Amino acid sequence: MTLSFVRRRALLFALAIISPLPLAAQQPTGTVSGRVTDASVGRGLPDVQILVTGTRIGAVTGPNGEYTLVGVPVGPRTLTVRRIGYQPTTQPVTVALGSTTTADIALNVTAVNLSEVVVTGTGIATEKRKVGTNIATVDSAVISRAEAVTVDQAMQGKIPGAQITQNSGSPGGGGISVRLRGVNSFISGSDPLYIVDGVIVDNESGQLADLGTRANPQNRLADLNPSDIEHIEIIRGAAAAALYGSRANNGVVQIFTKRGSIGKPRFTSTTRWSTSQLREQQPFNFYPFDVNGLPVTRFNYQNDIFHRAPSWEQNLTIEGGNDQTRYFISGNFANEDGIMRSTSSRRSGARINLQQQLSPKLVANVTSNYITTNNQLQAFGEQNDYGIMGSLFFAPTNVDFRPVNGIYPLPPALGTNPLLAIARIRNPQTIERFIGSTKFSWTPLTNLLVDYTIGLDNVGFEQRQFVPRNAVLGTAPLVTGRSQSVFENNRVINQDGVTSYTWGARGALDLRTTGGFNYTSQRVRITQASANGLAPVGELVSAGSVFSAAQTDVELRTLGFYGQQEVAFRDRLFLTGAVRYDASSTFAPSERWQAFPKFSASYVALDGRPGALNSLRLRSAVGWAGSQPGILNAYSQFISYTQLPFAGRPGFVNDVTFGNPNLKNERAREWELGADVGFLNGRVSTEATYYNRVVSDLLFFRPLPTSTGFSRQFYPIGTMSNKGIELMLRTTNLDAPNVQWTSTMTYAHNKNLVDTLTILDFQSAGGYPNRIRAGEPAGVFYGSYAARNCATGELLTDSLGRYRRSNQTADMGNAAQRIAISGGNCNDSLNKVIGDPNPKWMGSFLNELTIAKKLRLRALLDGVFGNKIMNLSTRAQNAGIASNSKTYERELLPYGDPRKLPPTWNSRTQGIFEYWIEDGTFVKLRELSASYTLNTLGVRRYFADGIDLTLSGRNLAVWTRYSGYDPEINLFGTNAGGLQSVQTTAADRGFDFGGYPIPRVWSLSARVSF
Amino acid sequence: MRMTRQCLVAFAAASLAACNLDLRNPNSPTEGEVTTSADATIGLATGLQGRFSQSYGNFAYMAGLVNDEFASTTAALISISDAEQGSVPPGTGIAENVFNSIYRTVRTANELLAGSDALAAQFDAGTRSGLRALAFTLKAESLGEALQSYQKIPIKTFGEIAPAYLTRAEALAYVRALLDSAAAEIAATPPSALFNSSILTPGVNLPNVIHLFRARYARMGGDDAAAITASNLVTRSGPTAMSVLTFPAPGVNFYANVTGGTNGINPRRQWRLSMTGGDQRFTWFVVPSSTVTGRVGALLDPWNRYASPQSPLPVYFPDEALLIKAEALANTNQLAQSQAVLDSVRTDCTGNRGIDDPKACLAPLVGALTQAQLIDEIYRNRRYELLGTGLRWEDSRRRNLIRGPVAAPAVPADGQRCWLPYAIGDRNANPNVPADPAEPTTFPTGCTY
Repeated sequence: MTLSFVRRRALLFALAIISPLPLAAQQPTGTVSGRVTDASVGRGLPDVQILVTGTRIGAVTGPNGEYTLVGVPVGPRTLTVRRIGYQPTTQPVTVALGSTTTADIALNVTAVNLSEVVVTGTGIATEKRKVGTNIATVDSAVISRAEAVTVDQAMQGKIPGAQITQNSGSPGGGGISVRLRGVNSFISGSDPLYIVDGVIVDNESGQLADLGTRANPQNRLADLNPSDIEHIEIIRGAAAAALYGSRANNGVVQIFTKRGSIGKPRFTSTTRWSTSQLREQQPFNFYPFDVNGLPVTRFNYQNDIFHRAPSWEQNLTIEGGNDQTRYFISGNFANEDGIMRSTSSRRSGARINLQQQLSPKLVANVTSNYITTNNQLQAFGEQNDYGIMGSLFFAPTNVDFRPVNGIYPLPPALGTNPLLAIARIRNPQTIERFIGSTKFSWTPLTNLLVDYTIGLDNVGFEQRQFVPRNAVLGTAPLVTGRSQSVFENNRVINQDGVTSYTWGARGALDLRTTGGFNYTSQRVRITQASANGLAPVGELVSAGSVFSAAQTDVELRTLGFYGQQEVAFRDRLFLTGAVRYDASSTFAPSERWQAFPKFSASYVALDGRPGALNSLRLRSAVGWAGSQPGILNAYSQFISYTQLPFAGRPGFVNDVTFGNPNLKNERAREWELGADVGFLNGRVSTEATYYNRVVSDLLFFRPLPTSTGFSRQFYPIGTMSNKGIELMLRTTNLDAPNVQWTSTMTYAHNKNLVDTLTILDFQSAGGYPNRIRAGEPAGVFYGSYAARNCATGELLTDSLGRYRRSNQTADMGNAAQRIAISGGNCNDSLNKVIGDPNPKWMGSFLNELTIAKKLRLRALLDGVFGNKIMNLSTRAQNAGIASNSKTYERELLPYGDPRKLPPTWNSRTQGIFEYWIEDGTFVKLRELSASYTLNTLGVRRYFADGIDLTLSGRNLAVWTRYSGYDPEINLFGTNAGGLQSVQTTAADRGFDFGGYPIPRVWSLSARVSF
Repeated sequence: MRMTRQCLVAFAAASLAACNLDLRNPNSPTEGEVTTSADATIGLATGLQGRFSQSYGNFAYMAGLVNDEFASTTAALISISDAEQGSVPPGTGIAENVFNSIYRTVRTANELLAGSDALAAQFDAGTRSGLRALAFTLKAESLGEALQSYQKIPIKTFGEIAPAYLTRAEALAYVRALLDSAAAEIAATPPSALFNSSILTPGVNLPNVIHLFRARYARMGGDDAAAITASNLVTRSGPTAMSVLTFPAPGVNFYANVTGGTNGINPRRQWRLSMTGGDQRFTWFVVPSSTVTGRVGALLDPWNRYASPQSPLPVYFPDEALLIKAEALANTNQLAQSQAVLDSVRTDCTGNRGIDDPKACLAPLVGALTQAQLIDEIYRNRRYELLGTGLRWEDSRRRNLIRGPVAAPAVPADGQRCWLPYAIGDRNANPNVPADPAEPTTFPTGCTY
């Protein structure tokens, strides 16, 4: 434990200790009691949760529905009442000092919660019943039960229509991408807009040094501590997100952290111990003879690269408050080792959330969160000079990599010695981040509300890289060693103001008018220093002899105004119309302002009726949203020049990307239609949504004639659509006194299509087979294929039994011979569409069983179906220089062995990309857990709520036909949207090339409160 | 309370007032900033020379690959070892790079010409003439390299949406006219001291470069009289006789760049082994080797001085002027004079002319050669004197020695392709790009122009 580490932890706990404890002074209290009944039959309801809102005081009803709450602070209070199968409700009570107040409550049957309040996409807090779109919510219980390292991991499998993919198994979250309702842009990535307590936060995943050009070890949402989160609201598309204007094409994810509750300070401590391991090894060529039949020793480097890795996480929260002040304080330390040796991620953070009533009409909310994340990573993916996975896949298995006299032997052809990389190559990252917000809520009149929020997300990110001398194959400069230090400061400031006026009843009508503004400014500054020609000792840039430096400074500002009118008719029909008017500094003044309107309708036909059909709501909405080039392309409107120094003098030349002064937003139009239905006396509820989205003016590079000295220009190049359905079904299978069993199923189907393209089809990831073609889903694999008989579809083989490449003279002869062999023209092209990485459907199945209120069992199955993966990892293994795959082993077998493959069989398949397409369908046992609450009298003497012990596992099992490490890993994933030297888009999926395997994780956690 | 309210309103108003959406890009200057400033225009001149060193490098090494000069040691980029066997499919990096980098150089030359006109009043006459001569010269040489690589080429590309492709004859006339304009410019107004000391790359003598290029393209156009006149104007001795591009760190000369890493370009050993015994010119270029082998079996010698990243690269070899002159004299039947000029190249030996160029140190030719023998001998000398300049490709084409693509591991003789396929980068956006010309399948069918 280093000194700085100790100091940092000391700081965190010091932050945690200066808590406003005196605020929680002794308050006068009273008692509330009563009975909860079923509204339709009047029967008393057992197992109903009753909570005094804003406090931690709660109770559960007995067999006849009676309850008693003691120690409730005096004054007007609100009770929140919940039970599975019934509509949650609230009831006001006034608590008198020292006496008992009676409050009887009747609950309506239904499993659909229409009274839940949401704020995302609605401008101001609004009940779900009034909103014409489907807004998904994930609450803190769901997040904490997932036992996930990051927030986005915790959301996996919970939201229909969200493809949440862990792109790598790197420690610290593993580079998670979230794609809501398919691919919607080629320039802006797939990331939704993330908002934490009103702060627009950055979720960058780009690495500042080459850790595999497009590798995705981590995305910055990983800095958030999942246990701080109160709930998450997700809106998936333009119909719901129009109020976010030009940044909302990919949807919005809004995260709310815990606020604290009225009462004495309560301390909660959660400790988790985990162990991660490689789920299963890949087969390699371990045949003990070489190509000449001579005996050879072979090695399995997976044993040296991967290990069982321990993790440890400690959370401490303190919350409390009184009527004027509420606070939530947390300190968190997570220490995770990766299953690849020498990789780790350590995160510490502290948070103070404070709510203060400044006057009867003015409330201030302040949140502040400081995080420091320290990673030690290794390159993987397509980094083949010093990347460990590339080196594993490209190295022959007969090389002994163990060091001799401290010298690590290098592989013969490509990559480095993985043991050397583990021992000597270092890629440390330090992230220092502050996220804070201040919000004032002012209610000058009972029907007028004014909110103002200012938020700051400031990320300081240092990436260092140290590659010692003679650690890689090849020539200067990398072989002379490299040390780099790259500093990035990424700062987002946003200000939001919203005001809402409720007009009061006008006959059968209720009206509310809302208006607001939003201003966001993001600035990214990067300074890079690097050195080659390193001294034998010393890891910093100053140890080098040849230096270079670079600097970047970009800023993007967005300003928007919106207005919204809501009309409610007899509390059954709700109509909303709104428009957002948005401007961005990315666009020239003439193109800058764009309007994004929306209209929505919700009709509550039935609500809370007992019997077979309990509730029915129909909803529909249409809305427009946009997306703009990301911050790294923020200056695309300008025709600019780049520096080209020559012979030691500064010089300029035209940027080969021609500026486009007419650049404007991509524009999505989406309508959705859906129903929320509750039936069978509250045992079953379902939400169903159909959506149809068309994105026009898709921005990408159109080619310019290179004879003009330019090569490309940002330009509207086409349109794309996503159509699909999302279903969610919740059932209560068993509701007995001591056993409750509930299930949640989700299903999502999305059909993506590139409708029109005004330029030639193009590779969406530069140099890779993912392709954008009109009439095909975005990102289809396009490449060489094996010749087939045109009539029967049977694969054609040559005299040696090898596949024939479709249009290669060596394999198929001249045109006439080709047609004769094929029996038609089906093999005339060199390339064709050979697979689609987009899933046909996705689904999840969650089961929760609670026994005697003490033991809770939980299993989440999460699956993706009908997608294809291109397995270039195994292709690398089969390459001649590697020849370490199982099929290569079959080439080595003696003639006569039935498994024998002819010589050059594998070199032939190298040139047939279709051969490397595999079915990517999988079902994962994403979460499995058993929790037990230990609350014997002895325990409760010390810990009021007992001790919660949880044994859980993530990714314990995967059912798939995919042959690689994991069907979920993807080379591109999070980097989509980068259009710098390495082009990748949101369409690029299903690409396995040297990915970091996703581990199987077992955890044991203990949670106590006092 | 009222104070709080007022503070809030004032704060909101102040912070919103800061939201100006008209941002300047601090990372790179805009067109407006560059084209309205004399200093920035001078920056364009440096950028032009930087681009020229890239496009010249791309042309020279690609031409050497599809001829018998170079081969690759690595398997990393298959397209490079394919190219050494004459196979260059459309869209291949090397075919694209030659075209795209040449036309980027042309673009910057055109911008420099436009800038020298638009800001004429801000330059003194000598600086303006130097800038214009430099732009004319590098534009001409770049287009000249294009017409040695592609069957037809666009020449008018500035301000065009879809540049038209012209025949070689039209393009060559244009290139020669550009070089004549350059010569006329500096003849009328000698470049200023500012131009020579601070704009022109140190190590380059612009008048010599212009005259050498004039001689080169006059020879290519079969204009023997002009070739002789121009080559006589090229200084042959003294410190200005060599013009070199310099690459102070972190710059890297382009041969060092394509020798390392994924390209692995090295000269073929047969270039050295085919020399007349005693010819010393190989020592300038390569380090003899008996071990270096290319990916598809070619035997190679590593570079000598180009292996150093900072080694300067000649813009031309001074003896090219002599060889052009000898050829023009032979063509015009002045055989004795031609043989004398050729001998001056063969007998060039250490220290003779005070310049660091390849030196054959051979004895003079014995007896009077016939015209055909002389031409043969001139081309032999061009092969050894001009390695790595890309000129051998045109020589092979002129002498009808293009054999068409040959599969490995045959050792190629002379050239293996007539032309490169047109750039996909242009084809994708320019309807005027012609169909790719067919390569010869029998020998000696020659190239179609």
